[in-house]
Amino acid sequence: MSQPDPAPFAPSLADPRAVRRARIEAARAELSAATERGAGGRQALKQYSHRMDAMIQQLFAEAGPLAQPVGVFALGGYGRRQLCLHSDIDLLMLFAGMIEPADERFLHAFLNPIWDLGLTIGHHVREVHEGSKLAEDNPEFLLALTDARAVVGDAALLDQFTAAADETRTHNRTLDALKALIADRHAKYNDTLYQLEPDVKESPGGLRDLFGSRTIANLTDPVLLGQGGSGLRALDDAEEFLLRVRSILHWEAKRHYNQLTHELQEMVAERLGYDADTPRKRVERMMGDYFRHARVIDRSLRWALRAAPVPIGPNLVRSTDGIRFVDVDAASERPETWLSAFQAAIDGGCAVGDEVLACVQQNAGRYKAEDFFPTDAHCDALLWFLKPRPGLYARLSEMHDFGLLGQMLPEFQAISSRVVRDFYHKYTVDEHTLLTIRNLERLTDPATPRERFARLLAELDRPELLVLSLLYHDVGKWKDENHEAESARMARNMYKRLRLDEPARAAIEFLVTEHLKMSVAAFRRDTEDPEIVRQFAELVGVEDRLKMLCLMTLADVEAVSRETLTPWKEELLWRLFVDTYNHLTLSYGDEVINGHRSTLITETIEQRPADLTAQEVELFLHGLPRRYLQLFSRDAVYKHVRLSKNLGDDDIKAWVERKDDEWELTVITRDRPFLFSNISGVLSSFGMDILRGFAFTKPEGLIVDLFRFNDDERFLAMNADGDARLVRLLEDVIRGRVDLAARLKGREEGAFRQRLPGFAPVVHCDADSSRRYTIVEIVAENALGLLYRMSRTMSEFGVEVDLVLISTEGRRAIDVFHLTKQGKKLSAEQQEQLTENLLRVLEGRP
Amino acid sequence: MKLLKAIVRPNKVDEVKSALEKLQISGMTVTEVRGHGKQKGHTAIYRGQEYNVSLLPKMEIEVVLPDSIVNDAVKAITEAARTGEIGDGRIFVIPVGESYKIRTGEKEVY
Repeated sequence: MSQPDPAPFAPSLADPRAVRRARIEAARAELSAATERGAGGRQALKQYSHRMDAMIQQLFAEAGPLAQPVGVFALGGYGRRQLCLHSDIDLLMLFAGMIEPADERFLHAFLNPIWDLGLTIGHHVREVHEGSKLAEDNPEFLLALTDARAVVGDAALLDQFTAAADETRTHNRTLDALKALIADRHAKYNDTLYQLEPDVKESPGGLRDLFGSRTIANLTDPVLLGQGGSGLRALDDAEEFLLRVRSILHWEAKRHYNQLTHELQEMVAERLGYDADTPRKRVERMMGDYFRHARVIDRSLRWALRAAPVPIGPNLVRSTDGIRFVDVDAASERPETWLSAFQAAIDGGCAVGDEVLACVQQNAGRYKAEDFFPTDAHCDALLWFLKPRPGLYARLSEMHDFGLLGQMLPEFQAISSRVVRDFYHKYTVDEHTLLTIRNLERLTDPATPRERFARLLAELDRPELLVLSLLYHDVGKWKDENHEAESARMARNMYKRLRLDEPARAAIEFLVTEHLKMSVAAFRRDTEDPEIVRQFAELVGVEDRLKMLCLMTLADVEAVSRETLTPWKEELLWRLFVDTYNHLTLSYGDEVINGHRSTLITETIEQRPADLTAQEVELFLHGLPRRYLQLFSRDAVYKHVRLSKNLGDDDIKAWVERKDDEWELTVITRDRPFLFSNISGVLSSFGMDILRGFAFTKPEGLIVDLFRFNDDERFLAMNADGDARLVRLLEDVIRGRVDLAARLKGREEGAFRQRLPGFAPVVHCDADSSRRYTIVEIVAENALGLLYRMSRTMSEFGVEVDLVLISTEGRRAIDVFHLTKQGKKLSAEQQEQLTENLLRVLEGRP
Repeated sequence: MKLLKAIVRPNKVDEVKSALEKLQISGMTVTEVRGHGKQKGHTAIYRGQEYNVSLLPKMEIEVVLPDSIVNDAVKAITEAARTGEIGDGRIFVIPVGESYKIRTGEKEVY
């Protein structure tokens, strides 16, 4: 936005009010004279607007000292420099900071003289920070703002004001409001422009429609009106005609008046110089011209309404032929924005426009991989893009075909059109890879026949990592041998570029390296042999990886050829999944860290920080399930070791950490009755929605519990000391100083009342899967306090809750408890009684 | 001539094929099948819920042999496919009366 001229007038020695009045009268006289000649069109109105600018600049200068930067901006017709004789003067006053009393004094000093001049002003006063809420502002203001221009003061404030806004939302709301206003206005005129006494501003085909069509174009596609409707020149002519008529109406009526009544038509025709024998003929000619111009405007407006693309992001619109850049040249210089076009196509279920694809094809080669990911946000955008859903395969294929995928992920380029001859594969390696992603994508279709695999996909925390792994799983096939290792090596080059966190790197490393293992185990090993399942479970380690590897195998086998994935193979794969899942969740309690040192244990001990001894680490790990090391990072393990050192019987070490959008509570202490239910109950008492977690108990009674939860009521987000208060309550509850049941009563009753009709809970007791524990697996409708109620029921029954796996999948809570009673597994009667107790609690029975 | 139809564990196919090849038997048809024998499947549990797995994935290997090597072939398949556990499978020996070459229509009577 250009800086306006500084106030051009020097202070007068005469009465300033009289001087101002004289100047405004002179400006009016100038416009009136032009109007009288029938020349009150664009040029005359522009001149009048310019005079008004000068006066406002002078008043601004005279209004006194500024306490902070302020900008004054013309809006609406004044903003377009089409101020008519009796039009309102719409102003926006923007303050850089908070408006203080000194600023209010300035406002009065500035505005009062305008009112004194008898001018009608519409003024909006805003602080720059309010721009962030612009999308929620009133629609009329949003529309007026589309014509804003600086008059005086700090012109940059308008850019700051609009920069803070969500541009796409603001544009869309503005457009929606404009369309609604047009429809309402047209309805008042019975939706016809052929009015015998038209309002040159409001009627269909009037000035408002003209500005409306231009606003639509400005907000969506600046060249829109040149591509259809009546064309730009015809629109300009129509505008000039209507402005001249309107000026005459204002001048003649001596007020803001826009209706071309029968009485005024004759006079207007005369002023405009229509030549005919009789006044009636002059009127007929003029009205003929009026309707011709109104039709021009009407056609262009209809075209704009029909053809205008929808703004969907910065420099991005959705039109009938798909996603387009508004400014292709600008887009060609900003490769980091290209992905948003493909993302928008997926979101909108539409195509990427040919212009975008051509721009990508012509320019992709100019950029390095890093150019596509200059910030963390761009890396996050790629991961978001890779979430499996309809359209992903088509968009990735386009990106590949037009040279973008290989520039963004150069490792993928290595397999472009790569042919590997073998007995099974029917496609080039790059297409095979993309087809694996299409297979995943198809699992997101509600009508998929592979419902059980689809559920696994829906349960993944980060399905995009699976897609990224699939993109890389065969890149090593540019070499002829041992492609898994080569693929993993090449994937490592991408980690840093995409700024992947450590868990993401580990997951991709695992999936790419081991992507053939599950098909080998499922199709070529005896999966009825428990040892095969145990070995495979050891390879995958945790359920999430098992799910990802299972889906990867399914997608990979299916992408070999149409015939490769038979129902028979699908069944074998699913059985191996179920057996391994059961092993991971039901048998891990028997596989504890003892004297035997696996690679993982050895590395954990040897790579310890300097403040820990090998003996301390070894001592801490001893007796914990081996699964513990697969669930916690090395740093977390060392922290646990430190905190457990010299831990007294009454000590409680607990802390809360933010993990992306979720929170995590870790507790290290000595076991005691009702400990697990107390911890979960405390979280519920703050309204926390427990998503997943683990509880480990060592033989000597040390416990390590971790809960991942959502802070639905934003207690932690809103209170700086929220985590300390939560931990304090936890300590009080564990030490018996606070009655948790009483604290939870109200919440639990509320939760029961709000419960949605769901499915019947399932409680399954398993005495066979573990040598040491009775395992209770519970699948129930997730609800506030569910974990607390279940674990409390168990504690009340007198069993020890030694190990717990907590998971939530959609509305289902899936929890697995490893229990003992006085150090032994539960008898059949005890299992039956506990099951009944749990079902009673879960069903809300007395 | 006899038709041997062997239902074996999926992971045993390669071993059975090798064993038959050692007897110079190379022509065979291998099919993915699902079914159950006396065991009638079993009950599996997933997330606390039981479901019946009645049709188990197996491989079916079919070979047509002269009577003279049927016993050796049966022995070879049995040794290669055996684990000693329930579900190892079954071999059916079926007499073959005649066959026709589809290309020529030529008939062979045994």
